[in-house]
Amino acid sequence: MKQKSFLTGLGGWLLVAALLSPLLSQQLRAENNPPAPMKLKVGDQAPDFKLQYFDGSNLKDVSLSQYRGKKNVVVAFYIFAFTGG
Amino acid sequence: MKAFQQNLQKLEAADTQVLGVSMDSPFANKAFADSIGVTFPLLSDWGGDTTRQYGVYVDKYKAARRINFLIGKDGTILEEQLDSAAIDPTKIVDACERKKLNR
Repeated sequence: MKQKSFLTGLGGWLLVAALLSPLLSQQLRAENNPPAPMKLKVGDQAPDFKLQYFDGSNLKDVSLSQYRGKKNVVVAFYIFAFTGG
Repeated sequence: MKAFQQNLQKLEAADTQVLGVSMDSPFANKAFADSIGVTFPLLSDWGGDTTRQYGVYVDKYKAARRINFLIGKDGTILEEQLDSAAIDPTKIVDACERKKLNR
């Protein structure tokens, strides 16, 4: 009687493991996947933006369009302040 | 951002403005800029509208992916560098200098 409940218990765990393993392997695969495709591609028009920075005394506006016809612009997105790179 | 600072003279000589963008507050970005010696603007995309518009918002981090765009004077995207490849801006510096030579 005791052994039977042990076996059904074990069977239950095996079932859970069997159900979870594809999910787990999918997640592991996702970690190794190439980067997600980009919404904006080379050759596309860059959307204009107007954002602010603090110069030590005032907030200053900067827009992409203010450089149009004058300068190339590198827009470097980063994750958070005080992260590397 | 440090890597861009190291290449800033080359980029400026090639008619290129560098702008950092993150979803931090302007004040956090100023402190960050000062602590690593960055002299170009670090812009605050508080709320993430621009980050989403550029398709670089990551749900998992609630922040931007590390991505560099080089945008030409006509407003079109000339180069993209993604994720870990975006730490070293050599490809963008080279592209700017090539453009300058071809002009």
